[in-house]
Amino acid sequence: MKKGRIYTVVFMLIVSAVFTLLLAGANKFYLPKIQENERLAEQTAILYVFDIDQSGSATQILDRFDKNVKQTTISEVTLYEYVSTEGQPLAYAVPFTGPGLWGRISGYMGVSTKLDRITGLVFTNHSETPGLGGRIDELTYREQFKDLQITAETTLAYGEDGASQIDAITGATSTSNAVLRILNQLLDDTISRLEGTDND
Amino acid sequence: MTENIKEVISRNVWKENQVLRQILGICSCLAVTNLMINSLVMGLGLTFVTAFSSLTISLLRNAIPNRVRMIVQTLIIAAYVILVDIFLKANMTDISKALGPYVGLIITNCIIMGRAEAYAQKNPPLISMMDGFFAGLGYTAVLLIISLFRELLGFGTIFGFNVNFLGFETWTIMVMPPAAFFLIGTLIWVTSNIFAPNKGKKS
Repeated sequence: MKKGRIYTVVFMLIVSAVFTLLLAGANKFYLPKIQENERLAEQTAILYVFDIDQSGSATQILDRFDKNVKQTTISEVTLYEYVSTEGQPLAYAVPFTGPGLWGRISGYMGVSTKLDRITGLVFTNHSETPGLGGRIDELTYREQFKDLQITAETTLAYGEDGASQIDAITGATSTSNAVLRILNQLLDDTISRLEGTDND
Repeated sequence: MTENIKEVISRNVWKENQVLRQILGICSCLAVTNLMINSLVMGLGLTFVTAFSSLTISLLRNAIPNRVRMIVQTLIIAAYVILVDIFLKANMTDISKALGPYVGLIITNCIIMGRAEAYAQKNPPLISMMDGFFAGLGYTAVLLIISLFRELLGFGTIFGFNVNFLGFETWTIMVMPPAAFFLIGTLIWVTSNIFAPNKGKKS
């Protein structure tokens, strides 16, 4: 059966319309659930950098988050605060974002209120190569940053160069260096800015 | 002359296995086989997409104008892949995160396009769907075999369960992409000896 040009155009229009509608429908149907998942992932990440228990169901996590964490702005930096039951701040979760190898890497770094210790590091979003640069997400890498002592002058470095003994994932990806670049910038620009307010 | 279902199964899973015999879909084979659960989800995702895109293309095969058939195939495949992606994001967040860009890359997996062009375009819907389904299962099986070795030797676990009772030292290389090269190569070598032991003598 020979098909003319007009038939081809009409056929393409119909096929495209049908499948676009199908996908739009599926997206609309699942959107609330996807957004909820994203919010939960974000809150779990913040609980992690504060070393608060992240186990349990979604409602338990949300509940724990609401009880312990509140969002504030200090020196124009919007961050999350870990608040004790008496209302004393215990630690800060400072958001960061920066260029990785393939796309942006975002996450939170937890620092003590005295700004002398990293309480935890977490990535909420990255598009690094799975199995290679993507391994920055694994605990063995991230836990290295936990409880690192920092000062106003600290510059993080890998291996023998760094005083703090952190290791890159492997030499075969520039993701490791991208992460350090982002974190050092965070320490220089943002966390040092918090310093002024906390000294009194 | 259409094949019966038995022939479709043995052809797709074994005799003409997409990965081992046709060397298709190697990219994702290298990428997602470090953990068995990732391989399983990837395999099932691909199986779903191949089966339903084959079905749809076969249903439309007499209506699709010949000169734009490949564009139509890609469009249909892409639609199903996005469905899988949305579904994973909503219901299996961890795995969706672990598979990352590879779910989207199912679109470019040669297996699906190959089945669409070589089979669904010329055969009735039901058998085409079966063809796509079992081609996907053949792919899944290979992925699982490779990831079994990689996860067992690299992490000492199977589907996340620790089976490293003897406490042997795990091999970091198995977790890294090169291990998949060795394993796929070995697997292809072993299986091609089973499939065609005399092939080398011909030349």
